[in-house]
Amino acid sequence: MTGGHVSGRLVALGGAVALSLGAAACGGGEDEITLGLITKQEQNPFFVTMREVAEDTAGDNDVNLLTAAGKSDVDNASQVAALADMTREGAKGIMIVPANSRAIVPAIERARDAGVIVVALDTPTQPPSAVEALYATNNRRAGNLIGRYAKAKAEEDAVEPRIAMLDLAPGISIGELRHNGFLTGFGIQDGDPEIVGSAYAEGNEDKARAAMERLLDEDPGINIVYTINEPTAFGAIDALEDAGRDEDDVILISVDGSCDAIKDAVRPGKIDATSQQYPENMAREGLEAVAGAVRGGPSPSGFLDTGVELITSDPVEGVESEDEAFGVRNCWGD
Amino acid sequence: MEAAASAAQPEPRAKARLVYPGLTIPFVLLILCFAAWGAAANLTDVLVGVFRTIFDMSNAQAALVQFAYYGAYFTLAIPAAMINRRFGYKVGVLTGLGLASIGGLLFIPASEILVYGVFLIALFVLAAGLSILETSANPFVIAMGPEESATQRLNLAQAFNPVGANIGVLLGAVLILPQITPETAKVIMSPAELDQSQEDDLALVLGPYLGIAFVLILIWLLIAFRKMSTPAEASQEEEGETRSGALGRLWRNRHYRYGVAAQFFNVAAQVCAWTFTILYAQDIVGVPAEDSGWYLQASLILFLVARFVMTWLLGIFRPSRLLLVMASLGVGLCLVAMFSLNMVGLIAVVCISLSLSLMFPTIYGLALQGLGEDTKFGAAGLVMAILGGAIMPLIQGKIMDEAGAAFAFVVPGICLALVAAYALFDLRTRRDGGGEPVAEGAH
Repeated sequence: MTGGHVSGRLVALGGAVALSLGAAACGGGEDEITLGLITKQEQNPFFVTMREVAEDTAGDNDVNLLTAAGKSDVDNASQVAALADMTREGAKGIMIVPANSRAIVPAIERARDAGVIVVALDTPTQPPSAVEALYATNNRRAGNLIGRYAKAKAEEDAVEPRIAMLDLAPGISIGELRHNGFLTGFGIQDGDPEIVGSAYAEGNEDKARAAMERLLDEDPGINIVYTINEPTAFGAIDALEDAGRDEDDVILISVDGSCDAIKDAVRPGKIDATSQQYPENMAREGLEAVAGAVRGGPSPSGFLDTGVELITSDPVEGVESEDEAFGVRNCWGD
Repeated sequence: MEAAASAAQPEPRAKARLVYPGLTIPFVLLILCFAAWGAAANLTDVLVGVFRTIFDMSNAQAALVQFAYYGAYFTLAIPAAMINRRFGYKVGVLTGLGLASIGGLLFIPASEILVYGVFLIALFVLAAGLSILETSANPFVIAMGPEESATQRLNLAQAFNPVGANIGVLLGAVLILPQITPETAKVIMSPAELDQSQEDDLALVLGPYLGIAFVLILIWLLIAFRKMSTPAEASQEEEGETRSGALGRLWRNRHYRYGVAAQFFNVAAQVCAWTFTILYAQDIVGVPAEDSGWYLQASLILFLVARFVMTWLLGIFRPSRLLLVMASLGVGLCLVAMFSLNMVGLIAVVCISLSLSLMFPTIYGLALQGLGEDTKFGAAGLVMAILGGAIMPLIQGKIMDEAGAAFAFVVPGICLALVAAYALFDLRTRRDGGGEPVAEGAH
């Protein structure tokens, strides 16, 4: 799951061709193959980064890459159509970021029946066995890192934890993994008295702001805010500022690692720490593995962790982290 | 890095021969030397960021690259002069070329051993050779033709230094930075994969230095097997004798004493600004590594163009007044870099080259003004101010580790403020002996 707006535009399936000019110029060593990449949408910089890196990697691997995106984060119909189109156009392998983990499965099965290797990026299918492999952030670890950070920071600042949790939505695995990872990292469980309030913000900034305002009304003493992603964090920051809360008095943690958040919120300390994920690793590792399998190499399988790092400008002892400069160098988006 | 040339040379008379008969090809070879050390010097500016990534080290540790490089220049300045005096310029040039070639070749074992310290040793040897080469080549060029055309000859040769400097950055921007293993990829690598990526990345560093070493060896062979005696060499050596009491007289001269300090801070500001341009682009703005070298390239091109403009302006305005204005501009640009953590800040960093462009020759001229027969000895002191380029990047790197790449530009900011203070001092203080500004060396 990545933060971002749900609005989108029409599927842009087409011939986003990324030929390996260098390899071609040198005579090339391998036959060109066709692969496909289907993301959720083109408005979210997370998926734009994923597509751009996939195109670059395709160029380096003598791959003709077809790309498509849905209209929004929940546009399953466009993804179903894109899967069929790419299969018909001769794609031997397809990487997909499922907009709907269950509803996409029949379309994936049809593609696999036609001999196409399908892997999921970022978001798992339900069941996970619907695809050969998943290249994604270890979301439990992402949550765990910020949980450990928040715990250590609270101890360092000698504050009694009063935690607000701004979650994703019921039943979505990424949100649950991050939530549970945070609790484990902090050393608490759902229902413990440290958690003074929670709400579903659906990864949306406006909804997060409204939810945070509500939670602050219920308990003005909130001093730790867990946010499922960075748009949620921005909404929470607005609400805290409106409530006159000093950013130094609240430990706010998140997940994503977008450039906007690192530069405008982590660097100045509005977000104390964020778990940065790497869409470029998903794209690069996924494409190389699928291309290798199509060319007769080992088929990818299982879950492949694409990495996560804790980014903060205020490190705490005992929790490994990278500074904001690392975050800026490796963030996604502009 | 160019060194200061010798003191004022008379204007060439009409039709004065550029070089003595038979020395045209040696002169061309020496011009190649000027370009070669420009390339090597500015390639090190790229290396700081590259080594930081490859060895996963702090900025202060990475800045040891400049300490090794400019430290070697400083350390070898006097031995180089002794070699020239005792054995002549040709031996000096060959010694420098040979040592620098060995330094370039030392990158081969360094990239096998994969130890940062070995790279620093290779850089030290390379820079030591280039220091001797530079110290020998400048007077050698002067001695290669009639005195009347010495300035023209030296300016022509030195014009190739910034060309080489730009080639050095270009080598880094094209051959190294775009190929370096991305940090994101390292996040998920196993220890074995990390070792392999380190080896691959260091092989990228090896390429340009082997290329430089190859060119230097070629020049060495061409010079070694060519007769290159110059009629003027003997007299040049005699002029090099130090007059007794010169040190004391120079020390008592505040314009000179403060001038050496100003040159120290000028070189420091220059090396700091250029060393950390790429890191600012990456760490503050998020410019991808493969694109970040182009900002340093832009900075050097700006430096080159501005130098011509400044030469023209120096004919209109009093040098110390122009120095004050440009140093103040530099301070302002550093402040923008410190507090605008975005593309505006990066553009300010690039534009610091504008203020730097006139400083070395202008400070050189102001500090040596009116020194008379002590000029030559005094010039050596100004050249040794290159030590600023070894020390201050370490301090900037340390501050960068503690407070970030943007705030660390306080270091060149302070350096440029001290240069401005020197300009102000020169404007407000009468010179006891008077005298005209000395025609500058170049940097």
